[in-house]
Amino acid sequence: MKLFDPHIHMTSRPTSDYQAMADAGISAIVEPSFWLGQPRTHVGTFEDYFLSLLGWERFRASQFGISHFCTLSINPKEANSPSIAQGVLDLLPRYLEKDGVVAVGEIGFDDQTDAEEHLFAEPLKLAMEFELPVLIHTPHRDKKRGTARSLELVRRVGFPEQRVLIDHNNEETLPMVLETNCWAGHSIYPDTKMDELRMVALIQTYGSDRIIINSAADWGVSDPFKVPKTVEAMYEAGLDEKTIQTVVWDNPVAFFGQSERLDLDRDPIDQSQLWEGNSVLRGQEPVVES
Amino acid sequence: MVSRIESPLDRNIFGAAYAGARRRLGGEPVVLDAEEQAALKGTGLLSLSGHSLDEVCRIALLVRTSECLPPEDYSSFISELYIRGDNFERQALLRGLTYLPDPEQFLSTAIEACRTSVQLIFEAIACDNPYPFRYFPELNYNQMVLKALFIGSPLARLVGLEERITPELVRMAEDYATERQAAGRPVPEDIPLFITNDLGARNEAF
Repeated sequence: MKLFDPHIHMTSRPTSDYQAMADAGISAIVEPSFWLGQPRTHVGTFEDYFLSLLGWERFRASQFGISHFCTLSINPKEANSPSIAQGVLDLLPRYLEKDGVVAVGEIGFDDQTDAEEHLFAEPLKLAMEFELPVLIHTPHRDKKRGTARSLELVRRVGFPEQRVLIDHNNEETLPMVLETNCWAGHSIYPDTKMDELRMVALIQTYGSDRIIINSAADWGVSDPFKVPKTVEAMYEAGLDEKTIQTVVWDNPVAFFGQSERLDLDRDPIDQSQLWEGNSVLRGQEPVVES
Repeated sequence: MVSRIESPLDRNIFGAAYAGARRRLGGEPVVLDAEEQAALKGTGLLSLSGHSLDEVCRIALLVRTSECLPPEDYSSFISELYIRGDNFERQALLRGLTYLPDPEQFLSTAIEACRTSVQLIFEAIACDNPYPFRYFPELNYNQMVLKALFIGSPLARLVGLEERITPELVRMAEDYATERQAAGRPVPEDIPLFITNDLGARNEAF
């Protein structure tokens, strides 16, 4: 079964993860732009970050047969740095048209400040203009209220709910999302957010319609193999193959496919290629698919 | 070190003194004998207990620079110093904020510090520091309390918390407790004490 990890921050992962992910059956990923552990102090740093998501990361993924897509925006945490945030917002129209951009995101609330609301509403409007889906992060703190406020803002802006993916859901927020036409993402994490068995229980309760799972692996203690591990947990719990495939492939493909840029026909792997003179190999024999 | 800081401020001399303080002086806690404590008491000066030697030096440098810069430049000086600081430089700056002139002018730096993923920096502003109690708006104060619960910083170390408890903050804590229960995870022991406003009992227990 082909697997899709629709939320993973590969910039923070070593190349060996790409190899192991490909071996585990992951053949497509979406990398949302996010914060890097500490706030950036220049707009230009964001621009270089966007360029690397569109350039080097796509190349690195392609070297292992993985199709790499991204979502771009200012993230909720850095929305609170006013001097930077507006500059990043001004950059977006130049980047949202690029190949490989399949949504606007991550946007949403963190501390739920007024500044965050503004930096949430503005990219939503851009997504309408560029006819892209949006990826909405829900906050760690005061999560229920943050989720309710996010859904309310989507309605207020008049953004089509079927193009909205509300992420990092839990037992309390999932029913709120399913009452709307938005899609519901779940980040399977080693200790926080959601785990494999709780996820299985949610699918047993609510079915697979509009349900998506991801690893949200990043620079923290996280696990890029959480999608395959959850597939295993789903099989062990006796969920049928069709349900599993809906959650880990059909749903993310349908959701991000709304961008009309989710081109999953990949070129054969050719590890003899270079990116601006750089190879991902360190003395290994290049793999070249025919 | 502090006496080398003169007006007009030479930012390179200041930057080197501030950055090198920990390497030169070490991070041992300041211990005062009874006579020194008595001399300090009632002066309104920095209470040195709980601070390390490098931190006291850094705060002294900050106080001195406030006398060497035009008042209108001081808040951007502090925010730039925060942005360019390493963890210990930031920690000293945050713990020194209430000793600087017009502390409210540093509000955005203090709130930004609460967004850190470094516990040392979060606790420098949130714990044993009167700044949030005195200057944070309700929303930012509440978010700080939730983050303390989230990352396991003891609420007993939040200065003035009892006076900042509002129905909204209790609602946020209760929601966090039910979220943990729904996920089959333990509820932090500070939450029930907090909801019943009985953190005093916890303080006594420790």
